Amino acid sequence: MADRDLLVALAGQPNVGKSTVFNILTGLSQHVGNWPGKTVEKKEGYYISGATRIKIVDLPGSYSLTAYSEEERIARNFIINERPDVIVLIANGSAIERSLYLLAEFLLLKAPIIVALNMMDVAEQQGIRIDIDLLEKYLGIPVIPMVASKNQGIKALVSAILSLSEGKKEYMPSIADISEDHRDIFMELADILEKYITPPYLTRWTITKIMEGDPDITEKMSQTVPPDSWSKVQALLLRHEDSLFAVVRGRYDWIEGAVRSAVSEFKRGQILFTDRLDDILTRPVLGIPILLGVLALVFSLTYGLGLPLQQLLESLMNSLATWVEPLLGQSPWLRGIIVDGLIGGVGTVLTFLPVLLFFFAAMAFLEDVGYMARAAFVMDRFMHVIGLHGKSFFPICLGFGCNIPAVMGARILESGKTRLLTIFLTPFVPCTAKLAVVTLVAAAIFGKKAFIISWALVAGNILILGFSGAIVSRLFFKRQHMPFIMELPFYHKPNPRTIGMVTWKRIVAFVKKAGTIIVVFSVLLWFFSYFPGGNIEGSVLGFLGRSMEPIGRPIGLDWKMIVAVLASVTAKENSIAALGVLYGVGEVGIREILPNVMSHASALSFLVILMLFAPCVATLVVMKQEMGSWRWFLSSFIFMLLLSYVSGMAVYQFALMAGI
Amino acid sequence: MGRDIIPLILLKEGEEGIIHSVSGGLGLIGRLASMGLTSGMRVKVVRNVGGPLIVTTNGTRIAIGRGQAQKIVVRRLTDGTGKAEPA
Repeated sequence: MADRDLLVALAGQPNVGKSTVFNILTGLSQHVGNWPGKTVEKKEGYYISGATRIKIVDLPGSYSLTAYSEEERIARNFIINERPDVIVLIANGSAIERSLYLLAEFLLLKAPIIVALNMMDVAEQQGIRIDIDLLEKYLGIPVIPMVASKNQGIKALVSAILSLSEGKKEYMPSIADISEDHRDIFMELADILEKYITPPYLTRWTITKIMEGDPDITEKMSQTVPPDSWSKVQALLLRHEDSLFAVVRGRYDWIEGAVRSAVSEFKRGQILFTDRLDDILTRPVLGIPILLGVLALVFSLTYGLGLPLQQLLESLMNSLATWVEPLLGQSPWLRGIIVDGLIGGVGTVLTFLPVLLFFFAAMAFLEDVGYMARAAFVMDRFMHVIGLHGKSFFPICLGFGCNIPAVMGARILESGKTRLLTIFLTPFVPCTAKLAVVTLVAAAIFGKKAFIISWALVAGNILILGFSGAIVSRLFFKRQHMPFIMELPFYHKPNPRTIGMVTWKRIVAFVKKAGTIIVVFSVLLWFFSYFPGGNIEGSVLGFLGRSMEPIGRPIGLDWKMIVAVLASVTAKENSIAALGVLYGVGEVGIREILPNVMSHASALSFLVILMLFAPCVATLVVMKQEMGSWRWFLSSFIFMLLLSYVSGMAVYQFALMAGI
Repeated sequence: MGRDIIPLILLKEGEEGIIHSVSGGLGLIGRLASMGLTSGMRVKVVRNVGGPLIVTTNGTRIAIGRGQAQKIVVRRLTDGTGKAEPA
């Protein structure tokens, strides 16, 4: 039983090992959700220490606390409004200046802070010595050295949290001042504004933020301060345009003091591992072929290991179906819902878990060792052509596994427009399930040429992704440039725990969607494919397909194929199941039956349409959620429908003319 | 010696400079400052071959687009030893 509850916030810049610390502290007690009304992830969990229950909230990683990004705004509003008992600022021992910059901002908020100086091993390897006692003395707050990846320093951190929250430790923080030449302006601003600043906002912090040009605080103050006083403020700021620099310079002076007193750096004789690797990996001539090689390796590993397992699960599902069927009695209802709906729909989706597991683990590995940032760097020039950001490369890559985590992965992009466009384009990345369908149909119809057909379809899809991106970004975003600023973290040894956590999280997200949305839609689909006629020909779906037959003619699809395309929206694999049912074959015999009922031209058109058609319903739901706008969501939906139709028609007519 | 003041983008790979000024919107300036790219800081260009640049400052490596790199003006340090003049 906990007698005491503490609220602790974990803060830090990206690439300081914050999630490692969070994972060690909270283990499996962590809960991942969203910050209210935001598409930024909120992670929280508990650490129990004796009679104290410590609730730990992981604040989004941010470089500073000025409201330029959603992450920064969330982090600082949390500190201001929730007033955590202790803030743990994770700092990177090998890049201490930059970490201290964020500390300077936090200290201004007058919250009790502990600095967890992480990656001390990396610092040591680089010849950086940090005297912890001197640093503590300079900063006036507790500093705990850590190597989180080796689980060192966690205990010390916890006891520091406890003693700081009990007021046992001396706490006299030194605070960065603005540079001397601007203190008068600060005082002038304070004279005007002081009486309008109300809790929870602090005077010094608010005025500093106004000098920095913080959009949120400026907006807030402009509404509370009477117009004549406010125009005085604006005149002052206009006269001293360099106020931001005064604030920044003040912080760096303060940082320099800390570094001078506590850090000694020896000449780095050895060329760093990172330097040497980057020399190869970021050189375009070498970097791009290496990237392609790495991706090829990831895919061959994923499919080499995952596909046999997938087939195993598939046969297990089939046996499950044959085992369950007799138990369900005579009711066609129950049989339809359980066997065709649940086992056929959800079961098939779940058989993809092994493939996804290997793929996500490989991606998390590349992310963890630091390679993904280099991939984003190398790809930036290409991504720019299609209106995306180097960082968009990462979610796009995830899309080859499953589109759901790809859409959610677009959150790493700071600019809202790039994020929208990345999500818009994600469905054009062929996911595992799409590839499975394409491989199966192509193999059944084209035999030995199937490999070339599949390859051409994937390549075509990627080209279409590129063209769509180029066109949409030109049309809607004009020539807005998207700033590209990205830290390249040091390469380091993979941390199995972090990789495991990331992979687990993505898999869970996938299973959750499969377990909820796909269940509902599988059952619904079965319902519509059975009623009112009692079989698929006489069902709502059959009727829909038949009434759409005229639309299907120019693209070479009969009504059965149309139904199969529609069914693919529940989950891509369902189109195979639909074909099986409609052409009256068991799934086993589909390879024999298909060549007799589909001409080559129709099959080509069918495959193209399947590749470009709306993604599965689970992806659609996530897309709507992450885009946060009906207008964007609907335009992307309509865009996909039109594009698939036009492309299908082009391929079909061309194939007919060419006599394929 | 070392008096030439040029945009960061003109530094060649391996060259170093002291940041003289950063122009652009407050958002960009603030973001760059929080990563250690602000006046008085020393930067080294690691990669500059079309596309984004890679620079290092204070032991951090940062990839930065050409557009943004245009807005950072540096004073080139010409002697190969990298001994900084007082900023």
